[in-house]
Amino acid sequence: MDATIDAPAAPPPTDRPTARATGVTRAPDGSLVVRVRRGRLSARLDARSVAVTAVALGLATLVFAWSLTLGDYPLSLGDVVRTLVGQGEQRHEFIVRTLRLPRGLTGLLVGASLGLAGAVFQRIMRNPLASPDLIGISNGAAAAAVFVIVVLGGSSTEVTWGALAGAVGTGAAIHLLAYKRGISGYRLVLVGVAVTAMMTSITSYLLTRAEIYEAQRAVVWLTGSLNARGWDHVRPLTVALAVLLPAVLALARHLRVLDLGDDAARGLGARADRVRSGLLLVATALVAVSVASAGPVSFVALVAPQIGRRLVGGSSAALVPSAALGALLLVASDLVARRVVAPTELPVGVVTAILGAPYLLILLARANRIGSAG
Amino acid sequence: MTMTSATTSTPPLEAQDLRLAYDDRVVVDGLSVSIPRGQVTVIVGANACGKSTLLRALARLLKPRRGTVLLDGRDIHRLPTRQVATELGILPQQPIAPEGISVADLVARGRHPHQRWLRQWSVTDEQAVEAALQATGMADLADRPVDELSGGQRQRAWIALALAQGTDVMLLDEPTTFLDLAHQIEVLDLLHELNRRDERTIVLVLHDLNLACRYADHLVAMKQGRIVAEGPPREVMTPEIVEDVFGLACQVIDDPLTATPMVVPVPNGRRAEPPGPPASAPDPALVNGHR
Repeated sequence: MDATIDAPAAPPPTDRPTARATGVTRAPDGSLVVRVRRGRLSARLDARSVAVTAVALGLATLVFAWSLTLGDYPLSLGDVVRTLVGQGEQRHEFIVRTLRLPRGLTGLLVGASLGLAGAVFQRIMRNPLASPDLIGISNGAAAAAVFVIVVLGGSSTEVTWGALAGAVGTGAAIHLLAYKRGISGYRLVLVGVAVTAMMTSITSYLLTRAEIYEAQRAVVWLTGSLNARGWDHVRPLTVALAVLLPAVLALARHLRVLDLGDDAARGLGARADRVRSGLLLVATALVAVSVASAGPVSFVALVAPQIGRRLVGGSSAALVPSAALGALLLVASDLVARRVVAPTELPVGVVTAILGAPYLLILLARANRIGSAG
Repeated sequence: MTMTSATTSTPPLEAQDLRLAYDDRVVVDGLSVSIPRGQVTVIVGANACGKSTLLRALARLLKPRRGTVLLDGRDIHRLPTRQVATELGILPQQPIAPEGISVADLVARGRHPHQRWLRQWSVTDEQAVEAALQATGMADLADRPVDELSGGQRQRAWIALALAQGTDVMLLDEPTTFLDLAHQIEVLDLLHELNRRDERTIVLVLHDLNLACRYADHLVAMKQGRIVAEGPPREVMTPEIVEDVFGLACQVIDDPLTATPMVVPVPNGRRAEPPGPPASAPDPALVNGHR
């Protein structure tokens, strides 16, 4: 039958490189293929994605390390490293391990989650504006959190749970409202915009009813902040990312055939509606966990994937690079937020837009000149 | 390979008592058909007769309201999507080529059902794509963007994708629509060759009756969701059946080159006038009046 296709007796006569069972080669889309164990295992990596991810993670690590040295009580990088490996002074121990380390880690993890979630949303909905800020999930979390603060007078742990419930509830409502024989990006954006408006007015209403102290607390939470984040925030974020990132990557493998249309994708063994719903579910979970930990930090989910796609180029969704860039953007913003009017610490959400927007504008301006904006 | 469960008596693809509908609109009802192994089957019929709908159901893209589709004797809707994709390939009517994608990249996506998390691009994948490019004459164009190809080349690239998928059964929904006659012949010759070389089972939906007669081993004529006639083109393509299926009065003569049946519509109206001397200038009324 198709033996000629599955196992040709001899490689076809061609000037193209012949298949190699072990080692590094190139796939037709230009990605690098690494084959080990005589070709029984093979993985493909996009070289530019790997490079962008590595650079972004390297920079994020540098900024993260630097941020550990800064504060009311400055430390040298040596002090920080010694403390981290357990050989520092007693008084440094508390500052680094209890105050600064969890805050920095929360920043990295929230940034990565938001960057990844934003990239998934934009890719599935084929809309660069489709970020969780704009389709209502963050706003649902915000309305719930403000409700807990203003009406229930809840503790910060209770606010976290409230925000989580708000994000999950709103995400589920948006999916259900937008579902009509599968998820269409267009419907989802429209439903999201409507839900955003509803949630924003609930939040505004609650704020007008609030006492001044509660209102201030609510507004700080609404801006998104990493102040006083501890290990209680780091642990759930780590678990969430450890589960959800592989889930995204497993589902994203099918995007290559979803690009050919839903029928063609199904003919090639991928069920488009299930892949899309699964990805949206995972992205919603990522947003819910991040918003619960740091509040609705604006703009990271919108801008990190935009920057990622432009740096990686091609039609790639740049999922992992967007996560790395989100982490970098958030820790860098937090560093600025902490130092720009020190000793007062600004909420990080104030800075993300100020830092991210100009960079996106620069990239857009450059793309305009070479004629590929959008 | 898929020959294990199949015997020569089991058709590779079979539909039993199908009812197919979109929402409340029933398009096909009570249809049964058996696709012969290793042959080219062509489905013809007037617009909206349900032939594309039938093809979609055979390819498991549409779930029947009643009845079953059997792939090598097994209910296709009980098989995992990916397993079906290793045994049956479908080229939809208007597949989407992502912007800027190269021919080789497109064809490589046909290997998707064979890939796993830890086997993303195997040697077999590479060889299958290479062989598919060779078989469709696309090897020299492998690095060209699909957007830059002619219509016929583009359709050959899609057929190469289906070929790289490595299935014994290949379904194609109107693969020649939007192609000029030369490119239609190019695509059909390629499919004929693929069928004869590897005994692949091919099912096509076609509009052009004469081309259908030329390339079909087995012809299926449909009307209003039913099969009116099926069999060798010589038996199916009679003036009576063409009149019934298309509402077109015609004569059927032998194709002077292939001796397959050829439909010649009976002229009527203005077109019935015997050819006279050419008009000095085209009459716009006449041009518009001719459909």
